[in-house]
Amino acid sequence: MIETARDKQFLRPRGLRIDPLMRYYFGSNALLSLVVLILITVFLFREGFGFFPQNLRNLRLYRQAGLEYVDIVRARVDEHTGLSRYLQAIRQKEINRLLAEHVNPGQAVERLSDFDRFSGEFDKTANDLRSLLSDMTEMASAIKEKGGKAEESGAVSPDFKTELVPLLGSFPVYQKTSEKLCRDLEDLLARIPAQPVPGFEPSMEKFKKLATLYIAGFPAAEAKMKSWNPLLPVPWYRAVSSFLFGRDWITNSFWQDFFGVLPLLCGSVMIAVIALSIAVPFGVCSAVYVSEFASIHEQRLIKPYIEFISAIPSVVLGFFGVAMLGQTLRMITQISILSWVPGFPISERLNAFTAGVLLAIMAIPTIFTLSEDALNNVPRGFKEASYALGATRLQTMARIVIPSSLSGILSAVLLGFGRVIGETMVVLLCAGNRIAIPDFTQGIASIFQPVHTMTGIIAQELGEVPRGSIHWRALFMVGILLFFLSLIINYIAQHIVRKFKISIG
Amino acid sequence: MQPPLNPFHRRNTKYRIAEQSVLWVIRLGTYLVLLAASCIFLDIGIKGGRVVFQSAPPFVNVPFLTQKPETLFVFEYHGRKMEMGDADFREFKRINHITRIQAVSYAYSAGGIFPCIVGTVLLVVGSMVIALAIGVSSAVYLSEYSNQGMIVRAIRLSILNLAGVPSIVFGLFGAGMFVLFFKWNVSLMAGWFTLAVMVLPVIITASEEAFKAVPQGFREGAMALGATKWQAIRTNVLPYALPGILTSSILGIARVAGETAPIMYTAAYAVRDELPWQGVQMLHPSTWGNFLFQGVMALPYHIYVVSSKIPQNEYTQRVQYGSAFVFLAVVMAVALGSIILRNYFRARYKW
Repeated sequence: MIETARDKQFLRPRGLRIDPLMRYYFGSNALLSLVVLILITVFLFREGFGFFPQNLRNLRLYRQAGLEYVDIVRARVDEHTGLSRYLQAIRQKEINRLLAEHVNPGQAVERLSDFDRFSGEFDKTANDLRSLLSDMTEMASAIKEKGGKAEESGAVSPDFKTELVPLLGSFPVYQKTSEKLCRDLEDLLARIPAQPVPGFEPSMEKFKKLATLYIAGFPAAEAKMKSWNPLLPVPWYRAVSSFLFGRDWITNSFWQDFFGVLPLLCGSVMIAVIALSIAVPFGVCSAVYVSEFASIHEQRLIKPYIEFISAIPSVVLGFFGVAMLGQTLRMITQISILSWVPGFPISERLNAFTAGVLLAIMAIPTIFTLSEDALNNVPRGFKEASYALGATRLQTMARIVIPSSLSGILSAVLLGFGRVIGETMVVLLCAGNRIAIPDFTQGIASIFQPVHTMTGIIAQELGEVPRGSIHWRALFMVGILLFFLSLIINYIAQHIVRKFKISIG
Repeated sequence: MQPPLNPFHRRNTKYRIAEQSVLWVIRLGTYLVLLAASCIFLDIGIKGGRVVFQSAPPFVNVPFLTQKPETLFVFEYHGRKMEMGDADFREFKRINHITRIQAVSYAYSAGGIFPCIVGTVLLVVGSMVIALAIGVSSAVYLSEYSNQGMIVRAIRLSILNLAGVPSIVFGLFGAGMFVLFFKWNVSLMAGWFTLAVMVLPVIITASEEAFKAVPQGFREGAMALGATKWQAIRTNVLPYALPGILTSSILGIARVAGETAPIMYTAAYAVRDELPWQGVQMLHPSTWGNFLFQGVMALPYHIYVVSSKIPQNEYTQRVQYGSAFVFLAVVMAVALGSIILRNYFRARYKW
């Protein structure tokens, strides 16, 4: 009471008392978390939002400077290179086969000499097109540089139409070159050499089919080049859609940067799905076991231990993946008994699966703890009623307890998903970091491909780019996407819990 | 004579067999999880333990814990294979008058991890002080003062959502706000605030639960004796909630220490020669700011650097497993401490 008197003496004259002051102090502190959430939004947008105008300018320049035009030719050349690589792959396989049959290397190469001559000739057919492409590339790069400089200095941008005249003038040359290429290829395909190793005819047949398809693609490309118009406006929404649905994330390229988030999103989601498909069965299993079947001693051991797992720092898990798990998994897949499993043996030590396994270990404690809470929240009466009707423990479990706690388990899974998709260090260290949309045509084996993720790309590239550049802003946009993704996941999880809450006591 | 038939005798009906087999499947699943985790602990524990501990006195590898990281040089000298840290290597060359020698170098692989330990401790202490100051007061408001209103609902919602935000987004936020907008650059301060913001939801939720565990009668008793609300909280609620707050906050420490992504671009340097207190002179207050606005080396970031930027082989394994072991041991000790303390206080404070 003495203190109250003192408070009065000090503060009364000014109309202030300590009690309301404390209230305001605590209140303002509580408000901080709301403020922080708003600040996060503000600062992410502050750094990231300039991305869209910059990206639009980037895309416009891509068209105006004729880079898009040149890329039509480039696609042709790339496809040709792809076919050459296919031939090389066949050669490698044949050599391996021959060596496995104990043919000595010199002889093997000799037997493949016809094939080598063929593939050399095939490679040569595109030489003219390649040199044309490099000429065109130079022209377009020069125009782009001019345009970029003019934009930076604020000067009037050059008249792209006159600049493009020489580039578009190379069209007749292209026509001639491509015609010659088609003729050469058809000639060449007519005299495919016999295979030195039996059993490789099907792959050569496939090659022939692919090459015919390639030749058939020329008219379409030509039509595309004819109808191409540098003055066609790039609509504003392309800036957004090329980010959200763009299939390429190419940066620091001499040619053209693309910022499409799709490969990263695919990588993130794929890893999360792998992780969850491991973590959900194990997490829910152990939750059911601990809450329904385990003895009290087992409970005392298992619960703290799994909580303990959640404290393992993610970077240590990632390190374990790099140092141990990746190598071990690859060694397991090389065991010949397991070769029937699709995708085995795996070629890359660090891939989506390695990262997924480690993330599963991170997600299990989250899923376990929340599902166990949900299971324990099922009213006792439900179980007792079921037992009284003569149901076994298993029946009660499967028909009563799990269905009535399903909403809690579902939200646990969602929160686990949120945790997995937002995890950085494990995927940065163990996912292999190859920026490409995974090749889903391989079916289940595609989980052994290296991928890159949204979180990983931010951590990897933010340190290397200058502030305010389009690349920097693109990384912040990825951050914004992650931020809203996590908010949505959180919202859905809470919604599920609220909507399906059991209200019977 | 047959034994009397017991109607409750366990028979192997098909229901019972089904139940038993399902039970074994989920039991196996549970123990597999524990086994997988144990594999990680054992691998890092054994390989890292070999680096940190030794069989001769003083049993602990003191240089590893007290020296700076150095570049390791591996070379052959008179037919013998030698391994040396940077400083030793230069000294060796000077003494033996060698100017040219073929040596393979591995960054970070010699010396120790002392600056990283120091940096991590500084980061954790600073950010926990900030987070506790803000978090406990927020919890006081939410559990003692607030009534159901729009703003309180919004606050609770934002706490829930903050808890789910990925740590790299906090890193981006810290880089955007503290490092660039406030121009603190890569510094301890920026790291403190970024980590504090990240761990805030954990602290608030934990503290609120601790406040709720204090019986309502304590508050009512104080108020009945004429205390104001603040006096009741200060004398009759805070002291009893404090153990609960502190133990739960230790889990927050484990999270703060374990995260790498938020400090990558706000506080951590891959390599820094000076220790944090060098460059600060007690007698010159103008240099005190240097302490706050300097980047530090941190253990988690160091582990990331040594496991991704240098190759995996017998020479680099020492620093890789050594730092992972030290880090894991510290974080696990903190987590274990929190679990034990929680059980202790649970048993002690029963109302």
